[in-house]
Amino acid sequence: MGTDRGVRRLSAVDEEAVALGLFIGQKATDATALTPELATAEADPAADLAALEALCDWCVRFSPAVATDPPEGLFLDITGIAHLWGGEAPMAQDLVARLAKNDIPARAAVAGTAGAAWALARRTSGVTIAPGGREAELLAPLPVALLRLAPEVAAQVVRLGLVAIGHLTDLPRGELTRRFGPAVVGRIDQAMGRTREGLAFRRPPNPWFVRLALADPISAPEDLARVTADIATLLCALLVAGGRGATRFELGFHRLDGRIEHLAIGLALPGRDSSMIARLFAPLLERVDPGFGIEVATLTADGIEPFFPRQQGMDDDPDGADEEGVASLVDRLANRLGEARIWRDQAFPSYAPERAVVRRPPLAPAHGPGWDVERPRPLRLFHRPEPIWAVAPVPDDPPVLFRWRGSAHKVRRAEGPERLAQEWWRRPFDEAGPGEIRDYYRVEDEAGARFWLFREGLYDSATPVRWWLHGLFG
Amino acid sequence: MSRQARLRTARARIAAIEAGGTPFRGVLPFGDPRVDGVLLGGGLALGRCHEVVGEGLELETAAAVAAFVAALASPLAERGAVVWVMRRDDLYAPGLTGLGFPGDRLIQVGVREEKQVLAALEDALGARGIAAAIGETEGIDLTAGRRLQLACEKSGATGFLIRSWPFGGCSSNEAAASATATRWRVASAPSVPESGQKGLGPCRWRVILERCRGGGSGTWTMEKTDGAYPLRVVAELGDRELETPQYLRFAS
Repeated sequence: MGTDRGVRRLSAVDEEAVALGLFIGQKATDATALTPELATAEADPAADLAALEALCDWCVRFSPAVATDPPEGLFLDITGIAHLWGGEAPMAQDLVARLAKNDIPARAAVAGTAGAAWALARRTSGVTIAPGGREAELLAPLPVALLRLAPEVAAQVVRLGLVAIGHLTDLPRGELTRRFGPAVVGRIDQAMGRTREGLAFRRPPNPWFVRLALADPISAPEDLARVTADIATLLCALLVAGGRGATRFELGFHRLDGRIEHLAIGLALPGRDSSMIARLFAPLLERVDPGFGIEVATLTADGIEPFFPRQQGMDDDPDGADEEGVASLVDRLANRLGEARIWRDQAFPSYAPERAVVRRPPLAPAHGPGWDVERPRPLRLFHRPEPIWAVAPVPDDPPVLFRWRGSAHKVRRAEGPERLAQEWWRRPFDEAGPGEIRDYYRVEDEAGARFWLFREGLYDSATPVRWWLHGLFG
Repeated sequence: MSRQARLRTARARIAAIEAGGTPFRGVLPFGDPRVDGVLLGGGLALGRCHEVVGEGLELETAAAVAAFVAALASPLAERGAVVWVMRRDDLYAPGLTGLGFPGDRLIQVGVREEKQVLAALEDALGARGIAAAIGETEGIDLTAGRRLQLACEKSGATGFLIRSWPFGGCSSNEAAASATATRWRVASAPSVPESGQKGLGPCRWRVILERCRGGGSGTWTMEKTDGAYPLRVVAELGDRELETPQYLRFAS
C-alpha cells in the first residue's frame, strides 16, 4: 500500500486478492470496504529494487547478460546459450521452476526482441516461446498497454479506439508520430526488432577498480603517462592491501564527449608493480585519441590471484630474479607484439608431424612427455609440403634424384621409409585410405644438405603417387 | 714463460683494453684445441654477439645454420632461458630436441617486420635470466650490432645472429662491417655413418670462422656428438671416390 497524491492506494496485490476483485491503484478505503479482512503492508520501493537486483545477480547463472526492468521484470540475453539447457523452452521452464522453489511466482517469455518478450510474458502465465521473426503476428492481438507506453499515452491511444497493437501497426507511421509523439513508433519498432534496444546489463562488480577524476581535461601524451602512473599506483596499493596480484589490467580513458578509450595489458605471472604496469601501458598510450580532452581515467584488474611477495635484499637470490626477468621480458614482448606471437612448443601425442607440436604460453608449466628422439625430425618443417619432381625406384625406395626450387639434388644417402598413416580416429574411416599414407625418407644430397621427403600414396592404387618435401634437417 | 704463453697473455690484455672494462663472462669451449686455440679466451665468448651466415640455398632456408647454432647453444639452455626471434615460424621443436637442444623449453618469438627482430632481440639480450637469444635477421648495420653488443655486455647473455632472407630475396649488405665478436660461415657437409652402419650419419657441417675479434680464423668440419661437448671436429677426409649409394631400410 502506498500513498499517491494524498490518497492511499494499493500498489501491489497477490493472486488471492485479484480473485477477490482487488486491483493495483485501487483506493485503500474501497479495498477494505470490499474485503474487511484485507492484510496490507506499506510499500517499500527501495527494498523492492534491491530485491530485484539481488535476483538479477542470481540470474547470472543463466546468462552473463542480465538487466533489471523495474519494478518487477528482468531481461536475460540468452543469445547463443540456450543450447546449454537443451533449448529455449527447457531453459525458461528451468528458470521459472527454480524461482517457484524460492517462492517467487514468475512468468517467462522467450522472443527475438526484448519488447515482444516483455509483452508476451505479461499476457500469458507460465512460459511462452515465440518463434523468431513472427513478432508482428503474435503481438497484433495484444492490448496496446503491452507496448511499454507511458500510461497517459496508452490511455489516449485506447480512447481513440485503437485497442490492439495490430490496429496501431496498420496505421501510417507519420500519422502515429504526429498524434502520439515518437515514443509509440519507437516502441513498435523495438518490439518488432526494427531498431536495436539498449539494455543496461548488470555486471558483477569488480572490487579491483580505481577511478581517477581529473580537475581539468587532459590530452597531452606526457599527461596521459603521468595519469597512468598515478592510477596504477592507486590500484597497486589496493592489490597490496588485499595480498593479491593480477594478470590483466584494463585502462579506460573517458573523454569529454562520452566515448571511452580502452587499453589492456596482460602479464604472464600475477603482478602488482605499478611502475612495471605503467611501463607496459606506455607504448600503447600513443594509440589513445584524447578528442577534446580526457576527464576521468579508470583502471580495472582481472585475473586476481593470491600474490606472495618475494623477499628481496637479504640474500642475492639469482633464481628468483632470473625468473622475474624472464617473466617481465615475456610481458614486454607479448604486449608489444601480441600474445599469440610469443610461445613455447609442447609435445602433443600425434603421429602427424604437423600435429605433434602445440603452442603454449611461454611461462605455462611444462607437462607430459617430450618428443621421441629416436624418430628423426627436421629442424625446419614447412607448413605446406612443397611438391618436388623425383625419380625413385618402384615400389618403396627413396628417390635417387629430385628437383626442388629450381635445382636438382642427387641423393647420396637415404634412410626410410617411416610410414605415417592418416589418423583414422580423427576422420571418417573411409577417408583414411591408402591415398593418405605418407612414406617419409630422410635423404642427403651430394653437397650434404639433408631433406625430409615423403611419398604420398602407394604405387598400386588408382591415383598416381606424388613426392613432397616437408622439411629440412640441419 | 714460453713464447706461446706470453703471446696469449698479451692478447688477453689487448682484448681487455678493447672491451673497455666490460666484465669477462667466460667462454663456451668447443673442447678441441684446434678450434679453441684460435678463439679469444679459449672458446666462444659468452656475453657477446656472434654472427652465423650460410651459403647458397642456405641463405633462404637457414636450416644448417640454425642446426649448428642450436647444437652450439645447447649447453647454454641449462643456464637460463633461450629465446629465438624470427619472422617465419617454420622452426620445428622436435628437430631441435633431436639436436640435443631442449625444444620444449625454447621461448619462440614470431615478429611481423624485420626491424622488430632486432628490437625484440635487444630486449631479450638485456633481460635478466636469459642465457642466450638467437635472432634470424636479413642484415645488421654497425649501430644495431653495437646496441646488441651493449645489451649482451650488460646482462651477460650470449647473442646469435642468423643471417637469412625470404625466398627470392637478396642481401644488400653482405660484406658490411658489423660489431659482432665472431663471424662464422656454416654449410652442411656430407655425413659419414659409423662403420658398418647404413643410412645417414650424425649431422656434419663445414664451419669457417671468418672473423674473431682478438683471435684467428680457421676452417673445420664439425659433427654433432652426444659427448661432453655438443660438437666435435672430425679429421679431414682425403679426396677420394664416393662409395656407391647404400640405403638403410627400416624393417617393415
